[in-house]
Amino acid sequence: MSAATQSSSTLQRVLRVASPLLLLAILAALPFFDLGPNRTKVLFLTFLWITTSIAWNILGGFTGQVSFGFAVFYGLGAYATALAMGAGLSPYATYPIAGLVAAVASLLIGLPAFRLRGPYFAIATIGVSEATRVIMTNLPFTGGASGYRIVEQGPFRQTDHYYSALVLAAVALVVSILVRRSRFGLGLRAIRDDQEAASDAGVNPYALKLAAHAVAAALTGAAGGVYARYALFINPEGVFGFQRSVLILLLPVIGGVNTIWGPVIGGSFYGIIEEELAARFPQLHLLLYGVLVILVILFEPGGVMGLLGRLRRLFQRKKAA
Amino acid sequence: MTAVDYLNLLISALLLAGTYAAMAVGMTIIYGVMKIVNLAHAGFLMLGAYFVYELHERAGLNPLIGVALAFPAFYLLGILVHWVLGRGIPVSDEPTLASLLLMFGLWLVLQNVGYLVWGTDDRSILTPMTFATIRFGEITIPKIGLVVFASALVSLGALEFILHKTWFGRSVRALIQNRYACRIVGVPVQKIARLTFGLGIAFAGAAGGLLGLLYPFSPDFGRPFLLRSFVVIVLGGLESFSGVFVGALILALVETFSIIAVPASYQPAISFSLLVLALIVLPGGVAGAVARIRSSRAG
Amino acid sequence: MATLLKIEDLSKRFSGLAALDKVSFEVREGEIVGLIGPNGAGKTTLFSIIAGSQAPTSGKITYEGRDITGIKSFRAVHAGIARTHQITRPFKSMTVRENVEVGLQFGRRGSVATLGKEAMEILELVGLHGAAATPAVNLSVGDLKRLELARTLAARPRLLLCDEVCSGLTESEMQSILDLLRRIQSLGTTIIYVEHNLRAIVSTCQHVVVLNFGRKLAEGPPARMQNDPAVIEAYIGKKSEA
Repeated sequence: MSAATQSSSTLQRVLRVASPLLLLAILAALPFFDLGPNRTKVLFLTFLWITTSIAWNILGGFTGQVSFGFAVFYGLGAYATALAMGAGLSPYATYPIAGLVAAVASLLIGLPAFRLRGPYFAIATIGVSEATRVIMTNLPFTGGASGYRIVEQGPFRQTDHYYSALVLAAVALVVSILVRRSRFGLGLRAIRDDQEAASDAGVNPYALKLAAHAVAAALTGAAGGVYARYALFINPEGVFGFQRSVLILLLPVIGGVNTIWGPVIGGSFYGIIEEELAARFPQLHLLLYGVLVILVILFEPGGVMGLLGRLRRLFQRKKAA
Repeated sequence: MTAVDYLNLLISALLLAGTYAAMAVGMTIIYGVMKIVNLAHAGFLMLGAYFVYELHERAGLNPLIGVALAFPAFYLLGILVHWVLGRGIPVSDEPTLASLLLMFGLWLVLQNVGYLVWGTDDRSILTPMTFATIRFGEITIPKIGLVVFASALVSLGALEFILHKTWFGRSVRALIQNRYACRIVGVPVQKIARLTFGLGIAFAGAAGGLLGLLYPFSPDFGRPFLLRSFVVIVLGGLESFSGVFVGALILALVETFSIIAVPASYQPAISFSLLVLALIVLPGGVAGAVARIRSSRAG
Repeated sequence: MATLLKIEDLSKRFSGLAALDKVSFEVREGEIVGLIGPNGAGKTTLFSIIAGSQAPTSGKITYEGRDITGIKSFRAVHAGIARTHQITRPFKSMTVRENVEVGLQFGRRGSVATLGKEAMEILELVGLHGAAATPAVNLSVGDLKRLELARTLAARPRLLLCDEVCSGLTESEMQSILDLLRRIQSLGTTIIYVEHNLRAIVSTCQHVVVLNFGRKLAEGPPARMQNDPAVIEAYIGKKSEA
């Protein structure tokens, strides 16, 4: 390598580490610039969508197990936080509890469900999620269909929620990167590529799938908890609803499944446009996403990340020519 | 609960089973030939209900004629959809996640177009039949239930005829059994796949119309029926047509009689649990289990 | 030589059809045992069952004195039995080296600290170390077979099951693979080797088991099997290959 290309690749590496940190710093500083409650709320929700997108992607993207039922974990996390806060715990103590509850649930679901492959697993996750929603709608001690109200002492400080969500999203991103680079991540890739061949090479698919599921569920559950504290009121239709499972799945698929930044892109895009579109044309944004999924599957399975990759290669070829 | 009550429940279950069988058969056709799990089935059920509704409201057309018309209308729609989306719906040996997601995207589109056109309110198809009942002694049968059941049987009978007496039907059955042999023998796989998809959608639309006679519907109509279709097919065995009857019967019986033990609002959870249970315990469905028992006796 | 693997009355049925019918034989440590038979004789099914990719319908497999019938393939790998596939199954999203890393990291009990060195050593053994960074999807058939072997060897198996490593290769590629097998044997690994090419079998194996229609037809030293009339009859039309 010539000195010029060597220094440019070092520059690239510095940029690759520095830019996310810079972005994080900017996002952390934003509240000091008088964003206003609406924009803060949008960013808060966006960070939560980024978290669930990254989380889903660990199971759906890295491991290739497409779950249509992640709302289960979001909902369980939300209710865990709600109930724990109702019992007097500090909200920050409830977030790990929310994650734990969701992780345990993921084991209970995964143990039978992961014996199924591909679409059958996907269908089973729909079944489980819907069954949970119906049960939660009928359980008296969680408020049933009318939902559950959280009472928090002290004033409502938007920055608390903003930073909770930002930290969670950052944690999710770090977890995602660590998993990808680890032996665990290598095993997940092998399972995604060819589960039987992975097993023939010594990878224990059941154990790894359960682990990936647990990590993804924990992050999603924590997101549910953070949301519950913010919303102060949750109901089964909202947190366990099929539409939520749908969005949790769609955003990383459109952003770029099986990549680190794809889910971030998908989550950001949705979070930011959701406010605009959802307010004015409530059904239009889901329609848009349905069309996007179709386009992604037909033309660019790599999603936005795949598209960017193609553009970059095109650009490189033009530069070489 | 008296014997008459049980009998009434049993008859309700049987009528329901017929409807469920008609509902699930569209999905089975598509899955059997193309190994595609058609999540958009829910969307077509919904469109079928609205199709019959609109014909009834605007043209005063008897809903049963509407259902009959749904067959050719949705057949053409199915072929169109397959033509447009064909790239993502390859005929393969194994269900692919790409086709799953594609059909899911289609379902989202259908559902939300539905919301745009018809809004979120529930609609119903009301006819003089809707609340009428027939009495046999102490047994009460809702007339509409009987009518729907009869229509379901007729359409399933038509399917049997198509499958066993026509060239197209024979090709479909051959494809289900052995794709490679079909290619070797010269069966035009892609063409049959397209026509099969059309047939599956035709049944979805017609079944949707029938269901619309029984229940109120909104654009989200398909979802609980989608899951029930899965239960039926998985219970019956994903590729077996006779299995669809068995699966429909089991589901209908469980749903109807579970009211005795469990509060009605928990009922959907039972169907879903049945689904998960069926997927895990009976991977081949009842048909597969029967086949296994037969082969272990023979071997 | 001690018996490493013992197969007793192994059978496999698929809806009434017997792919394997009461097959029994033993494999002694340090040998290369050839498994031959016409197409459809059940060789790959037998492999799958020994390696744990499939479960037998009945019968028993004893390995190192332990009953391992019906264990899953990843447990078989941890116990020391690893297989290659007749139609290669590389991990398509990975490079050559990453493929081997999977075998390295997961093929042995407990995790191995990423010793990039060891991955490269294995690639050198199979002759692929120049292609370490190549995506697996870009390899030729011959190189895919080597990769398959490398990934399997990374697990340091005591018993290696080789499924038709020679099919689709040129004469010289075949010779180098056979040399590789002999080297692996000299390093202490026992090998069961499925192969159509009878010359390859004769030149590498100490013991040969012949299958036909799912049953064991005969077994013995390769020279004797070559001249056994029953074996020849099973291969009618292929005598010219021997």
